[in-house]
Amino acid sequence: MSRLAQGLVLLLLGGAVLRISAFTTEYLNYVKPGFRPFLIAAGAVVFALGVITLVQEWRRPQDTGREPSRWTEAADGRGGHAGGRPDGREDGHAGEHGGGHAAGPTGGHAGGYGDGHGHDHSRGPRVAWLMCLPVCAIFLVAPPALGSFAAARDDVAPPPPPREVAEGYEPLRGDGPIAMPIGEFVGRAWGDAKRSLAGKQVRLTGFVVRSKQPDVWYVARMQLNCCAADAFALKVAVRGAPAPPENTWVEVTGVWIPPRSDKLPLGTVPPRIRAINVTKVPRPVEPYE
Amino acid sequence: MSDKALLDWPAETDDPVPPASWGRRSPAAPLLPWVFAGLVVALVAGRALLAPYLTAPALQTWSTIFVAICVQALPFLVLGVLLSAAITALVPPSFWTRALPRRPYAAVPVAGAAGAVLPGCECASVPVASGLMARGVTPAAALAFLLASPAINPVVLVATAVAFPGRPEMVVARFAASLVVAVLAGWLWLRFGRAEWLRVPRASAERGWRAFVAAMRHDLLHAGGFLVVGGIAAATLNVLVPRSWLAAVAEIGWLSVLVLALLAVVLSICSEADAFVAASLTAFSPTAKLAFLVVGPMVDLKLIALQAGTFGRSFAARFVPLTLTLAIGVSAVTGWVLL
Repeated sequence: MSRLAQGLVLLLLGGAVLRISAFTTEYLNYVKPGFRPFLIAAGAVVFALGVITLVQEWRRPQDTGREPSRWTEAADGRGGHAGGRPDGREDGHAGEHGGGHAAGPTGGHAGGYGDGHGHDHSRGPRVAWLMCLPVCAIFLVAPPALGSFAAARDDVAPPPPPREVAEGYEPLRGDGPIAMPIGEFVGRAWGDAKRSLAGKQVRLTGFVVRSKQPDVWYVARMQLNCCAADAFALKVAVRGAPAPPENTWVEVTGVWIPPRSDKLPLGTVPPRIRAINVTKVPRPVEPYE
Repeated sequence: MSDKALLDWPAETDDPVPPASWGRRSPAAPLLPWVFAGLVVALVAGRALLAPYLTAPALQTWSTIFVAICVQALPFLVLGVLLSAAITALVPPSFWTRALPRRPYAAVPVAGAAGAVLPGCECASVPVASGLMARGVTPAAALAFLLASPAINPVVLVATAVAFPGRPEMVVARFAASLVVAVLAGWLWLRFGRAEWLRVPRASAERGWRAFVAAMRHDLLHAGGFLVVGGIAAATLNVLVPRSWLAAVAEIGWLSVLVLALLAVVLSICSEADAFVAASLTAFSPTAKLAFLVVGPMVDLKLIALQAGTFGRSFAARFVPLTLTLAIGVSAVTGWVLL
């Protein structure tokens, strides 16, 4: 991998990260909202590194005459370094380098990951080409937020979020439907000894997941702790309304159906809601809870 | 002409003589930018043309998780690479010999405990440990730092305390078990490890701004490439392995510890988030959750790929099983004593 290619790969990666974090809200499909500044900073550093590499590469043939002292210093450093290791490890390196590059310009890294690469700083490792893969995925697949496919994989409903249960729930006030996150609904349905949900109209926003039972479907939302790799589905079973098409975003207004018996262990069956009204809504900007 | 040639080759200070790119630059250089320009156009156009057709749910879910792992790890990787480049290019080598105890067996626990100061996850610690080794720190001490820092830094410990409210013993157990594993692994490597297994990254003797940029570019490209390898593996297993399998084994004590330890390896969750995932696995015993929390930051798919890339495959083939065994054993004992 030539230095020019290294600079261009860094430029691509930095540009893609800046695109999803600084210029659009696509990063919300992958990580928590609070992560944005870190992503922008990382994207900017990678992009800048690419620009610096390209500028250095661009100026290299012209300015060799202008800064001779630096090259001399570098050459001295090389000599000093080779002699500077008392533990004899340097021999191994020298051997690897000789072997790795003896095959010529094109086959120089043919030795594989184990021994032929990764020591010298001017010719990048070939594995770095893989960094184009997330860039291609971001641009070509445009991965959407996790939806019903991922939610349907988790057959076991997750337990209520522990931190909210520990603090206890405020009693619900007001007459009209109360909008609440699905996580809160699940937590109140499972973990609230005062049964604050009983008889209250609530409004839940989520996407549609089909169920194996005929007259039930789920309104679901994925919950993230850090990134989409640790997402799990929060599901509420909806009764009393025909199922909209899979994966559409809906607002369900309805009333909690208390479980028939208290003997079912928590977390095995999603809480249920009797729908009064189901309306389609556009996908929220922040798809996760 | 001879003058130019003389000045041209020492610029690539790390290459053998003559450098591989020498004499190839002129035909290759003008073509590459056009290839990349074409690629950028293809990517922008491809989004409009291809994205509407690439809608298979499994593919989309896979690529969401894959991109999420890469995107989430990148800031930590960049932080680690910045620190590592600063260590190799800006901090004088003599600093490390003064900061750490001279005797290697004493340096290992000190370096392990020093891991508490690096706030970040495991992606940051690999390049930093590599930078420490390149600056002459005893490899075993750098390895203890590598294992300890993602598990015992304040950010991770606070996240653990938040995820297990009212159970401070979980934080204590995680801290103690992780530090013990890191120090034991360091000592064992010191005693039994051989120099030829470990590829100590070479630092250019050059110092200053230019070396900083070169070290950073090299580490970032290298670690980034292997991060992608790990991301591919983790995303694939994440999509393929149904979580409902877990419920079946939660009942059996010793098996549940093993299963959660292996789950931590497979899922490759960032150490700042794994406590929340562990807390959500309510069917499992506290000891099994502790194994999840101790193994995750030390051994997981993306970390294995990063270690193999940075320190060589013969290193990873020995160090990863050693760490995994130690982590499972120590967390079983710690869980038995503390939880």
